[in-house]
Amino acid sequence: MIVAFASLGIRWVAEVHAANPEVSFNRDVRPILADKCFHCHGPAAQTRKAELRLDTAEGVFQGKTPVVIPGQPNESLLIKRIHSTDESEVMPPHDSNKTLTAEQKETLKRWVEQGAKYQKHWAFEPISKVAAPEIAGVTHPVDQFLNARLQQLGLSAQPEANRETLIRRVALTLTGLTPTIKEIDEYLADQNPGAYERMIDRYLASARYGEEMAKHWLDVARYADTHGLHLDNERQMWAYRDWVIRAFNENLPFDQFTVWQVAGDLLPNPTRDQLVATGFNRCNVTTSEGGAIPEEFVYRYAVDRTTAVSQAWLGLTAGCAVCHDHKYDPLTTKEFYSLYAFFNNAADPAMDGNTNITAPFLKLPDPKQMAAASGASKVERDAREWLETISTDTSYSDPAESKSPLGRKPIHDILVDDAYPIGATSRSSSRNPIDWMTDPAFKAASGRRLIRQAFASSYNDEIELKLRPVVVPHEATIEVYVMVDAVDTPTSVAFGATNGKTVTWRKTDQGLVRDGTNPSPIVPGQWNKLTVSSVDVGLNPGQRLNGIKLSQTGGIAYWDAVSLSGQTDPATDPLESLTAWRKSLGTNIPPELPGELNALIQGGPEKVLSADETAKLRRFYLAVIARPVNDEIASARIAWETSRISRIIAEETAPGTFIFKDTDKPRESFIMVRGQYDKKGDPVEPAVPAVLPPIAKSTPEARLNRLDLAKWLVTPENPLPARVTVNRLWQQVFGTGLVKTSYDFGTQGENPSHPELLDWLANQYRENGWDTKKLLKLLLTSDAFRRQGKLMPDVKVADPHNRLYARGPRIRLDAEQVRDNVLFTSGLIDLTMGGRGVKPYQPANIWEPVGYSDSNTRFYMQDHGSSLYRRSVYAFLKRTAPPPFMSNFDAPNREQVCTVRERSNTPLQALQLMNDVQHFEAARALAERVLIDGGKTTDERLTYLYRTVLSRTPTTDETSLLTASLQKQTTLFTANPDAAKKVVNVGESKPKNVAPEIETAAWTMLANLVLNTDETLNRN
Amino acid sequence: MNPIFDQQLALNRRQFFGSTGIRLGGVALGMNAASSLLAQEAADPTRMHPPLPGFPNFAPKALNVIYLHMNGGPAQVDLWDHKPKLAEYYDKDLPDSIRMGQRITTMTSGQTRLPVAPSMFKFSQHGQCGTWVSELMPHTAKCVDDIAVVKTVHTNAINHDPACTFVMTGSEVPGKPSLGSWLSYGLGSVSNDLPGFVVLTPTWKSGAAAQALFTRMWSSGFLSSKYTGVALRHVGDPVLYVQNPPGVSSQNRRAMLDTLSELNRRTLEQFGDPETLTRMAQYEMAFRMQTSVPDLTDLKQETAATLDMYGPDVTKPGTFAASALLARRLVERGVRAVQILHRGWDQHGNLPRDLRSQCEDTDQPIGALLTDLKQRGMLDKTLVVWGGEFGRTIYSQGTLTKDNYGRDHHPRNFCMWLAGGGIKGGQVYGETDDFSYNVVQNPVHINDLNATMLHCLGIDHERFTVKFQGLDQRLTGVEGPKIIKELLA
Repeated sequence: MIVAFASLGIRWVAEVHAANPEVSFNRDVRPILADKCFHCHGPAAQTRKAELRLDTAEGVFQGKTPVVIPGQPNESLLIKRIHSTDESEVMPPHDSNKTLTAEQKETLKRWVEQGAKYQKHWAFEPISKVAAPEIAGVTHPVDQFLNARLQQLGLSAQPEANRETLIRRVALTLTGLTPTIKEIDEYLADQNPGAYERMIDRYLASARYGEEMAKHWLDVARYADTHGLHLDNERQMWAYRDWVIRAFNENLPFDQFTVWQVAGDLLPNPTRDQLVATGFNRCNVTTSEGGAIPEEFVYRYAVDRTTAVSQAWLGLTAGCAVCHDHKYDPLTTKEFYSLYAFFNNAADPAMDGNTNITAPFLKLPDPKQMAAASGASKVERDAREWLETISTDTSYSDPAESKSPLGRKPIHDILVDDAYPIGATSRSSSRNPIDWMTDPAFKAASGRRLIRQAFASSYNDEIELKLRPVVVPHEATIEVYVMVDAVDTPTSVAFGATNGKTVTWRKTDQGLVRDGTNPSPIVPGQWNKLTVSSVDVGLNPGQRLNGIKLSQTGGIAYWDAVSLSGQTDPATDPLESLTAWRKSLGTNIPPELPGELNALIQGGPEKVLSADETAKLRRFYLAVIARPVNDEIASARIAWETSRISRIIAEETAPGTFIFKDTDKPRESFIMVRGQYDKKGDPVEPAVPAVLPPIAKSTPEARLNRLDLAKWLVTPENPLPARVTVNRLWQQVFGTGLVKTSYDFGTQGENPSHPELLDWLANQYRENGWDTKKLLKLLLTSDAFRRQGKLMPDVKVADPHNRLYARGPRIRLDAEQVRDNVLFTSGLIDLTMGGRGVKPYQPANIWEPVGYSDSNTRFYMQDHGSSLYRRSVYAFLKRTAPPPFMSNFDAPNREQVCTVRERSNTPLQALQLMNDVQHFEAARALAERVLIDGGKTTDERLTYLYRTVLSRTPTTDETSLLTASLQKQTTLFTANPDAAKKVVNVGESKPKNVAPEIETAAWTMLANLVLNTDETLNRN
Repeated sequence: MNPIFDQQLALNRRQFFGSTGIRLGGVALGMNAASSLLAQEAADPTRMHPPLPGFPNFAPKALNVIYLHMNGGPAQVDLWDHKPKLAEYYDKDLPDSIRMGQRITTMTSGQTRLPVAPSMFKFSQHGQCGTWVSELMPHTAKCVDDIAVVKTVHTNAINHDPACTFVMTGSEVPGKPSLGSWLSYGLGSVSNDLPGFVVLTPTWKSGAAAQALFTRMWSSGFLSSKYTGVALRHVGDPVLYVQNPPGVSSQNRRAMLDTLSELNRRTLEQFGDPETLTRMAQYEMAFRMQTSVPDLTDLKQETAATLDMYGPDVTKPGTFAASALLARRLVERGVRAVQILHRGWDQHGNLPRDLRSQCEDTDQPIGALLTDLKQRGMLDKTLVVWGGEFGRTIYSQGTLTKDNYGRDHHPRNFCMWLAGGGIKGGQVYGETDDFSYNVVQNPVHINDLNATMLHCLGIDHERFTVKFQGLDQRLTGVEGPKIIKELLA
């Protein structure tokens, strides 16, 4: 038998050369038609020639003139035309730049001879129920399929790899981390049958498993921490990422995993997780660019979501059909827009507002927070009721109506502490809500909360006091507490009035010092009370203080407890005089004014009120606005304020996440001509492509919705999602999918290398309840996975890319795995799970040169402490400038769906692995581990180092090379002890001083060396 | 030697190179005929960045490209598109016959009036060709005989983000390879010590706010990430991580690499994986970059006359002037594509003040770059391109006064220029109406311009395709872009 491999991909033509070979339509004929004929005789109506289509059986056999007569090649027009020597007759025509080889012509002819059996494109055919071929001595079904092919081709498989190799391979595959020495020893010691399976089970049960699995899915879901377009501001939806991790750890069946993400919001009484899961369709990039035209972006988001779902579950590159009928796949433009109609009702706005809480947004209080919020709400309501009750009968005379002049009155008002005062508005130039921090470890200056400013750039928080207006008293002083971060010290902080001036404390040699004066500087890392006068903020007694303004530039600042003292004129003070209050409100309705008072205020301060109206207004005023006029109100006010703050804390400290919802009324959907948002064609209704099984309605009269679509995806009749998903899992395990083009199961994608195996696995997956852990275990227990990774010369020629699995998979680690393993083996890693994206080390000027001037992700504010060492799946991902440790190693920037990553091999990677602070610091930490735990002799230490990083002991040869290298480094550092000192002090973690600096430095270079080996960077 | 290793070596000749990797200086570049040099490049087995087989498709006029992207949308009517008749239209409404109901952005669609704001800058004719140039660009003006100004470039998008993505990748939707990535993919690159595609993002002086850039503007999209542009930085390491950590000397590094190479050779013998051999080569290239990059950025090697020509900012790292000089040095060292992305050209308001400042940043260095390339005999082998993602409206955004106005986005026509390899300089191509609002003659779509650029570089844009998502993807799209023959030398 002659084996031939097409240069592109993996099309077996072996059978063609055998005697009387059976031609398979999907394997042999369709690729030829798709490549050479479908452009003019395929699904696209616009470009179809001669009304002939060859992509359907009807087109071939029942067209105007049937072009194929089964069994009669000489009578079949198709065969005649391809063999024609007449230039005007021959197909494909000359001007198409396409030609058929003699072999291809022969294949087509033989297909007709043999009866011209037509099949749909393989991926659209139902999943076949195949049994694994029986092969002597092989029991694992996966191997039965694979070995059948190997035997056919006369290739011999590699023997099983040794146990050290296997445990490292399994651990990396399932957890993204290498095994610890303890785990290796445990596995090596287990000599009972089933040891390998038990080892797999331990890793499947590890919480690290969900993190590794999520990494792959988040590429598909295009998850990131910023909006992606224009300002590329931060968005808050890491709860979705954490849910994905949890879903994998809990082994949520993949059919539910699907339904929740596509339509969790439409399930009856959706749980919180089901709503969080809908974040899948909020992960798309969004804009809020000034001048952008809303219709355009509403359209684009719906297209993006349609494309994402098609790619993720159907493996179809629906994107082409946005503009025209798909040239090759049977997806018409109408069908694309019918799918789009499912997603065109999204409730989120066209403009994301550059905020991190773009609606629909779901708050996620934990049970404690929920109980606290509802408890506090009740207390607050009761307290407020009591306040109003006692205010009703309180005697009050308005100082403005006083006949005799009243003297000035000393006041001390808390303006802001722990929460905004009632009826205030706030604005942050970060465009996010003001960042309140609750119960920090370093304690608020007053109460429980404070305001944090940490975007590094220059920005302001403003709080406008509207319902409870403030008038500047005589001899006024305003006090505020500030703390500046000792590491990220701002270059300036400023405090002032929104309608006046601000006072600035600026960085000098003495620290942050107030402009124009020379008082003691602000002490970093502790609370400092700042005091300014009304003159300082540009206001005179009697003027309104509209609001307060807090600013910082270039670092982190915390603010707390703003208060105002002085001597007030009661007659003109809105907090003393009802008349003055009415005057200062004017006719504007301030926030939180009870609705029943709206009309009274809109009438203006001069409006004559009825007795009843006066009573209502007076009651509200005395209860909530005026300084307490007696002790009873004073204590009731404190009770109310306290409960109000408790309620706000309970509500606001909970994080939230973007979720997907529909508009109340569905938007009408149209075919958009040539993909232009402003060119509506025919209207369309939600529907699925005709080539796939029909979709069921929940009720006959209802319009199809996303839930119907989600359920349709995972119906047993739908062949694609199971195939697409097991193929991606195969790709994770073996490096390349059975269908190499894991993003394209259409006719332009590659055919599966082992179609029967793919179908068998797809059936297994579905029949086992879409149990992902079970499927992975099945793959990992195959011989194919356990083979040595050695590439033998004969296999190298026959199968350079290991598509036949004669050897074990050997693949370069993913970006996250590269970084995580350096942190893990060095012991620096912090395995805390979940939460807002962390900001590890990043060289200066990754964000800054590209960030929009006014973006809240313009300046990268690196974290400190253990956040530097969190797993990479938790690292903050800014789409327009992703972290180099990700992009250098082919992680996508998550602007669109990515189902397979490239594995490049570049000098920039080498530079990063050798020199990046996080890698070099980890080398130091690893060296220290070696020196502490690795024994006394160099041999013992090298063994420890190798076992930690590579899970094996070094050979004698390697030991002698490394020993020589260690000596060389020691010699170099002995000659330059200052250099050694620098080496051991790289990074923010402190050296442990476990050995002389020269020794630690030399071992650091050795650790750096081992961490850079090709073996370390690969799953071998 | 191990037989597997030998076989690997043979298989990986294209990726592997020894310590004798070739170096081509500017002199060599200048003296060789472009086509023969490229033939030589293609045949050389020691190339780090080999071209695709069959590339270039025909003898190129230009070997390299320097693309000066003025991010934000420079106002064509204040720089190149001289409209002397407009003075009489000052503060009159833009006639409906001109606007013709075309869409405008939501930043000005709510304005009650669209008052015409003629440029307040003086124009005069320069060079033998007599091209009209604004007073804001006296240095560029001296080079107009080498420049082909295209007045009728038009694009699809009206907002920055999609327009930038379009001008750089030929698609408004993120995910496609950038121009430089296409070039380094197709043509490879000559330098074995430097990346094939380098990007510079200099600082800018005008007003505080500037539009964002996106790494997708130089990313490789669906091509291998090895074709992504490498950003040359002015803060920290010029190339990320090129410097050894504190305390690590070149000897330490060399010693580490020597052992690394020994260990990797054993891995290669054990697994026979060609990627191992590639990695060994990449570590050696990394080591060489530790020397070649500092050498590249060391401007002390330049003469005082050269530095003077680029202006006083040239010695300040990260300025446009420094970037322009680096662009020449990169091309001189055989880097295929260099892009400078200069921000701050989005003058919605205070245009007179801010545009002046933008030009002060860039004009002298651009004039110097063209002159410098020419003096070294490199200009006819280097294609230089200048332009933004769209133009600006003739009507004022916000209040119009005699000495102040702003302009909104205008994608319907704007000016770009080309110079150098393959370009017939000393001409102005295309004509717009009296309001610089519509193309009246010879429209040039961004795709046409890209096709023309590829042509100069010896690439048939129609054959330059990569199959992705079921389509033959092209930089130049599928709607029949045309090469603008009139621009070619």
